[in-house]
Amino acid sequence: MNQGGGNTQTVPPLDPNSIENRYGVNGSQVQISPYQYSTGSDGASWTTHKVDNQVVQNGNYSSSNYYHPQPTVATVPATGNVQETPNTASFSSSSTSGTANTSQDYSGYTPYQTSSDPPQNYSNTGYSSYYSGYQQQQPSQSSYPQPVGAYQNTGAPYQPISSFQNPGSYAGTPSYSGTYYNPADYQTTGGYQTTNYSNQTAGGYQNTNYSNQTPTTNQGNYTSNPYQNYTHDTTNSHSSTVAATTTPVHYQQNYQQWPDYYSQTEVPCAPGTEKLPAPSAVSQSFPVPGVTNEMPASNGQPVPSYAQPWRQETNLSQPPSQQPAAAVSASNDAYWMHQTQNQQAHYPVPPQNHYQSPLETKPLHKTPFQGHQRTTYPQEMNSQSSVHQAPLGYRQPTQTTPSVDTQRVSKVQIPTNPRIASNLPSGYTKMDKGSSAAGAIKTPAYVSVSMPKPKSHATAVPEPGTLPKSLCGFVERAFARCKDDKENASCQAALKKVIADARDDGTLHTRDWDTEPLSTVLNTDVTNTESSSTLISSLQNKSPTKRPKSRWEPLVEKPFVKAAPAFSSGVKFGGWNQQNQNNKKSFESFQKADAVTDSKPTYSWQNSAKKSFQRPVKRQRFSGGASNAIDDEASSDSDKDLTPSAMSFATSAEETKRRDSRSKRFEKVQGHSRRNEIPRPMNPNVGNLHSRRGTALRPGEDFDENGCRSVEDIDWNALTVKGTCQEIEKRYFRLTSAPDPSAVRPEDVLEKALLMVQDSQKNYLYKCDQLKSIRQDLTVQRIHNHLTVKVYETHARLALEAGDLPEYNQCLSQLKILYGEGIEGCSLEFAAYSLLYITLHSNNNRELLSSMSRLSKEAKKDEAVRHALSVRAAVTSGNYVMFFRLYKTAPNMNSFLMDLYVEKMRYKAVTVMSRSCRPTIPVSYLAYVLGFTDDMEVCSEWLKAHGASLIADSNGDMLLDTKASTTSLFMPEPEDAVAHGDKNLDVNDFFTRTS
Amino acid sequence: MAYVSMGEAHRRITEYLNRFCDAVSNQDSFTLCRLLSFSSNSPSILSLADALNVFQDASSLIRQSDKFSEYGEIIAHLFRSLQSYRVGNLVEAYLAFDKFANAFVQEFRNWESAWALEALYVICYEIRILAEKADKELTSNGKSPEKLKAAGSLLMKVFGVLAGKGPKRVGALYVTCQLFKTYFKLGTVNLCRSVIRSIETARIFDFEEFPTRDKVTYMYYTGRLEVFNENFPAADTKLSYALQYCNSKKERNIRMILKYLIPVKLSIGIIPKDELLQKYNLNEYMNIVQALRKGDLRLLRHALQEHEDRFLRSGVYLVLEKLELQVYQRLMKKIYIIQKLSDPARAHQLKLEVIAKALRWLEIDMDLDEVECIMTILIYKNLVKGYLAHKSKVVVLSKQDPFPKLNGKPVGS
Repeated sequence: MNQGGGNTQTVPPLDPNSIENRYGVNGSQVQISPYQYSTGSDGASWTTHKVDNQVVQNGNYSSSNYYHPQPTVATVPATGNVQETPNTASFSSSSTSGTANTSQDYSGYTPYQTSSDPPQNYSNTGYSSYYSGYQQQQPSQSSYPQPVGAYQNTGAPYQPISSFQNPGSYAGTPSYSGTYYNPADYQTTGGYQTTNYSNQTAGGYQNTNYSNQTPTTNQGNYTSNPYQNYTHDTTNSHSSTVAATTTPVHYQQNYQQWPDYYSQTEVPCAPGTEKLPAPSAVSQSFPVPGVTNEMPASNGQPVPSYAQPWRQETNLSQPPSQQPAAAVSASNDAYWMHQTQNQQAHYPVPPQNHYQSPLETKPLHKTPFQGHQRTTYPQEMNSQSSVHQAPLGYRQPTQTTPSVDTQRVSKVQIPTNPRIASNLPSGYTKMDKGSSAAGAIKTPAYVSVSMPKPKSHATAVPEPGTLPKSLCGFVERAFARCKDDKENASCQAALKKVIADARDDGTLHTRDWDTEPLSTVLNTDVTNTESSSTLISSLQNKSPTKRPKSRWEPLVEKPFVKAAPAFSSGVKFGGWNQQNQNNKKSFESFQKADAVTDSKPTYSWQNSAKKSFQRPVKRQRFSGGASNAIDDEASSDSDKDLTPSAMSFATSAEETKRRDSRSKRFEKVQGHSRRNEIPRPMNPNVGNLHSRRGTALRPGEDFDENGCRSVEDIDWNALTVKGTCQEIEKRYFRLTSAPDPSAVRPEDVLEKALLMVQDSQKNYLYKCDQLKSIRQDLTVQRIHNHLTVKVYETHARLALEAGDLPEYNQCLSQLKILYGEGIEGCSLEFAAYSLLYITLHSNNNRELLSSMSRLSKEAKKDEAVRHALSVRAAVTSGNYVMFFRLYKTAPNMNSFLMDLYVEKMRYKAVTVMSRSCRPTIPVSYLAYVLGFTDDMEVCSEWLKAHGASLIADSNGDMLLDTKASTTSLFMPEPEDAVAHGDKNLDVNDFFTRTS
Repeated sequence: MAYVSMGEAHRRITEYLNRFCDAVSNQDSFTLCRLLSFSSNSPSILSLADALNVFQDASSLIRQSDKFSEYGEIIAHLFRSLQSYRVGNLVEAYLAFDKFANAFVQEFRNWESAWALEALYVICYEIRILAEKADKELTSNGKSPEKLKAAGSLLMKVFGVLAGKGPKRVGALYVTCQLFKTYFKLGTVNLCRSVIRSIETARIFDFEEFPTRDKVTYMYYTGRLEVFNENFPAADTKLSYALQYCNSKKERNIRMILKYLIPVKLSIGIIPKDELLQKYNLNEYMNIVQALRKGDLRLLRHALQEHEDRFLRSGVYLVLEKLELQVYQRLMKKIYIIQKLSDPARAHQLKLEVIAKALRWLEIDMDLDEVECIMTILIYKNLVKGYLAHKSKVVVLSKQDPFPKLNGKPVGS
């Protein structure tokens, strides 16, 4: 903590440089701005998810704090560091702080905003406006865009440079982070009301921030941090040799921190990610994804970037067992061969250096490599990207797979900054073009990371003992792929055999386990044991065919259940790994199916696999056809054109809304239906993480554009779900994909749920939520019977009671259909409602006529319908006396609908009376006639509020001076009016929703 | 179905093909119309249909001659439609006719002159009629009727072809009217708006240049729309126009116009003569007119109740209901006149009590509050001049013209 503070203080002198740098980099960020803007503007769907959102925001905030090492925050950054390191488990603490204190976070914000940097100032304004405009979503949003854009221009450029060029200049980064972050918050502010929203944007932002910022900031922090010990050698050499390169220590930190960040950021991203933005955002933050992004990019940068990360990994694996070097180099060569000859030539050199003295040489290695990259870029630009994508993609998955650990992944990410700094000239242009470039740049920095790894491995790997670390990772990966015990067993057998073989061969320590494809295990499985073959087949099957299932449960659950034990660091880690592995699984299975010979399909698969870092399951659906995969590729390509941060913001307002609802759904599932399956973390923070994870992961399973396509030709009859969920209470999530039977309640449970809602004392928002979920379950199971009618009737009544007309209308239209199907219900009651509604609200004569003409003779005898008809007559003739008499005698809930017209009717009545009557009318009479239930006080208040002029007669009775009132009457603006027109979306209600 | 020999069928089909092609090449719109109008059920069409059902392979006949094959595709659709129509498969007939119509419109678009306008009219008409029939068939089969809607979009397409500049624009109003009929039938009246806008805002073509027939129809429908909107002056103008130009021999059309024009006229204080109602058999309005004359609220309510369904369906119910205020006015006037006879000095003071009593005689039970309410409304709407003294429960009438006539203006203006 102290160190962090010290760093921040010392750093400031360097600022100027950083600032300059930032400006230089501007171009890249500028692109992002429009996107941010759009995201910021969204925020519509925020209503439901307050809890989650807060959590996420907190998370973001903490992270922001972390990044903001600035003077004010001096303590904060340190805490941030601590929190985020996975090993220390401080991460959970950070999350806790975030979750626990929403308000605190906010307070924390303000300091940020106040900070002196211009961008920050900007953000401050943004914030204030944000808060002020809080209630009015849309207006605030609209106003925002400008600030954001402005900000981005100045601030955005900031970020990359600072991170790159001034690794040492701590101040530069902090300011940057501050500014940068603010924008992120800022964007969220637009969506701020919707906590989900903030999550999304924040997530995207964080990723970008991290990648860019972390290197620099980490360096600053890092040197001071306990981790220093590890890195000293490397750092020294490093700094001396390469100015731009980051210190190894720094990496380590990053490395450890990253996993946390990763999970954190990832989760927030996930809700937002959905289709396009998610993958891109993810890719940025994650090494692999970044690579994928790069691939598509026309620049050709991606390729180099990829190579670097890859190399790094090998390097890492080498330290424990130095033998692999040759193999690695060979693989490298091969790898490079694919890409460009130039690179090949260059490449061999660095590896050699690296091998001889891994620690020292790494920095050296880096520099040449970077230079090499620069040179290569121009050449590659044109041809490379398209041609080489396939090989690259292919390679990557396998390599990355070994590094399944989140930590590793994080490592890969981290590197980007340093390299960028060194490469700045070349990387600069690339930056502009897209996030992919940034990702590519990052990788070189990675090289130095080798030190931290052992430690992380020790924690992560179950059996670190005698076996090479890489082997452990390999085994780990292999197991992670196993779905159930059976597979586990088969996999174990296969692994044993492989290891035994290796030991016999004497290659146990020499073999490059990191690069060793898991398929070897699988292959052996196939050949050796039947169970293994089943495993494979299952895997293979899984990817192409099992869409519905994969979308939902199995994949998601696994990470939590299985992965958790494997990693001591935390459940989230395990989950992450699992998912990665899942991805890999699918990928590998796919590979096998194609015998790896066909690079194109595999490539697409890899792509998907990479993407699936966030959404593991999604791609499996498409595994069937290469065409699909290609489509996917194309889409991802388009994604990649955008900068990472841009991607996260690329979503339109609608998109964000949808995301929100989706994330809500996940939240619910997390909270309720999944309670049984997921061990509830003791620590609330962890729980939050979990939920966030859930949110992050689920979207991945959701369909994207491609998914939609396949959804269309589903035979819904055949797929009608039979629910198995026994939970009576369930929150509403707007479904975006096939329903999960285990989250759907069967009819008998729904009946109970309906009773529960009916008896519940909670507020309408809760009931509405519950009823919506019941309705959803009914719809999903295609239940059309008396229960359905009852549910809709109940909801319609409740909605009427609460004045929630939109919901009421939804219910009513459904009820009309249901009644039309001949299902018994209170059709007459609702006929009356609908009549009243048309009379009083829609003001559409034709509609009124047609609905009146549709009434049968019997219906007209019904009390409620008769009442409604009389009300209509009173309204059309303006007979206020009749109206308020009917108001008092209204059957059922007719009066609730009339409520909505009372104000208008009273106003009309007073207008008419003041015009027609002379000289005065006693207020008591008005109170009586206008349905104030003889409460003169209220009546006179009302009259005054409407501009009536009241006088007192000799007896002290209040009189309405009609002549004076004729001209002074006015209709006051409703006090509870909300700009967005639906006061049910009021913030207060929003916050009480979960209470 | 009369037996038709193969040879006879062949002969009939060839003859039809010849006539069709000749009509097109000679630009003989009249003949073409006769060849196309299914619903006329003319013997020649029916016999052709029979022939087609006997001689299944009509398309080979079409292909035989270059003369036919130019319009082969069009005619093939037409034949298929006719076949289905003849055997009562109206949905199939509609679908084939839709294809035919599309093909024909495509051809029509390419023709420079508007010679085939009449034929196009026939097609527009037939497609609408066929769609209605097909919908009936669909409904009886328990399926959702959708063909009329489809016909609407086809007609809209035709409208697009005609609505531009040039000689073909004359036909736009006919199609518009067909569209109106479709939309009114479908209940999607709001769709009329775009068409109306296109007709009324077009500067390049004077409305008066359209055929009278179409103008009357157009005015009738737009007048009805104004009735829905309770825009009585506009409705009056349009419906009066329709009435004025409507062929006086078409009593049915006149009656249709009057059905809407009378309520409109009543609402602006113009009461028709009984002879008019009798002549056009508009008996449902008899009692209403009577009630207005007498100030008999009960009669009005009874009349409304008696014909409620009819009025609701035609959409004039709400308009007629609003006549109540005029009836009240008439009633008050009667009371005022009676008072004047007995006590001219205080005749301008109408006690609410008295009005309530009068209403009770009409078997309408109202307490003073309600009567007061109605009086305030009457005064507010300017049907009664004066004021209501709340304390003394008296309506004090203006000494000058206490019951102003509407004189063609709507109530409340």
